[in-house]
Amino acid sequence: MTAFRAIVLEHFRHPRNRGPLDDATASAEGANPLCGDRIRVQVRVADGTIDDARFTADACAICIASASVLTEHVRGMRVSDAAQVDARWIHESLEGEPPAGRVKCSTLPLDTLRRALYVSGSAII
Amino acid sequence: MTDGLIDQSEPLLSNEPSVALATLVAATGSTSKKVGTKMIVGESGRLIGGVTIGGCVDAQVVEAADALLEAGGRRVLSISLDDDEAWEIGLTCGGTVDVLIERVNVHDIVDPVAAAHVAARASLARGESAVIATPLDGESAALVVSEGGARHGTLGESAVDAMATTIATDVLVNGSRIAPIDHAGTSRQYFFDRQSPPTTVVIVGAGQIAMSLTRMARELDMRTIVVDGRERYATRDRFPDADEIRVGMPSEIVASIAPSKRVAVVLIAHDYKYELPVLRALLRSTVGYVGMLGSRKRGDAVRALLREEGFTDAELARIHTPIGLDIGGKSPPEVAVSILAELVAVRSGKRA
Repeated sequence: MTAFRAIVLEHFRHPRNRGPLDDATASAEGANPLCGDRIRVQVRVADGTIDDARFTADACAICIASASVLTEHVRGMRVSDAAQVDARWIHESLEGEPPAGRVKCSTLPLDTLRRALYVSGSAII
Repeated sequence: MTDGLIDQSEPLLSNEPSVALATLVAATGSTSKKVGTKMIVGESGRLIGGVTIGGCVDAQVVEAADALLEAGGRRVLSISLDDDEAWEIGLTCGGTVDVLIERVNVHDIVDPVAAAHVAARASLARGESAVIATPLDGESAALVVSEGGARHGTLGESAVDAMATTIATDVLVNGSRIAPIDHAGTSRQYFFDRQSPPTTVVIVGAGQIAMSLTRMARELDMRTIVVDGRERYATRDRFPDADEIRVGMPSEIVASIAPSKRVAVVLIAHDYKYELPVLRALLRSTVGYVGMLGSRKRGDAVRALLREEGFTDAELARIHTPIGLDIGGKSPPEVAVSILAELVAVRSGKRA
């Protein structure tokens, strides 16, 4: 088994930060329109820092693993720094790139986090 | 008339001031329809429904109904199935059916039966079962007892209403039947007719099987709710017969639907991304049926994952997979028939 696959499966079986964030200050929902992945990313931002980040998803293993590592990473991070996290960081964290055609599964949580930060104005510092 | 009750808004009844309502109140031997089944015979000759599938038997009911529409009143018609007519139509098992036939002024709100059917329909619309109690002889009267405790109408005496309410509470659980009520030195027979809201089929996955399911479920008096995370799939164009189409996080949508034994959830997305979260939301709820498309091997794998998360064997045993009765079909409409056959079996108590 490749490292990528092992990491994805571990996060899929034991996702970090899964579940609603009751006192979120920003939230966004994203979907992959054809495969059907759906995710909601919620953050609580105070003084320009992401105090907490959680996600809720009906999604595939790659998407859930990506959301798991991403929310772990951005907790405690300045919003301006979190806005710089990119797909390359996600793939490095998962120790590999998804197969062709599944890249969107891995980037959906990131796109959704960015929308949550931008739509709420949190990222405009 | 999708649930057997008189529906004043039914186009076929709009020009029928009076009808004869025939209700199968008792049956012995081999009959094809359940007690409570109804047929409406209009003054114009219109027929809606049928108390049996045997043409000769229904013909006798229609004949009696025509006569009653002229003369008025009500009667119980007992028909033996163990006679020449039964042989002619292949009903060789014998038995009898008793059919209550009564004239109903459909649009008259003081007609006890018409008013009872309005009250019962209101109860069903609230998602509650209801029992209509009516005497088998004498003057027309009706009392409706709803699952939530509401009562409408009267059988003439408050003491009789009270005894009927007690029986109706049992009928709500155990089904329609005739029961006697003794009062003031006389015993009178009443028919207690249980009416239940339709099964709601929640279909997760807006693919081709779902399209067939929504078309066919309507014929079986089942409501359908199509659920998917994909706007492009769950569209009204694709599902003209669905009662509801809901797009969003499937597990959250399913969890938001009030659970009851009359809710069946059919997982046909064939994708673990929906199956696992929806099953997590369902296995500890009180929905009446949970089925999942897929092989036995795949079903075992899904159960194994959920067992790791703490679901018990009893909870996991609720998942019907492979879904449907094995009729050997592969095409989407054939799979839909198989799923609906299993839902009918569950509804009629033939399958847990």
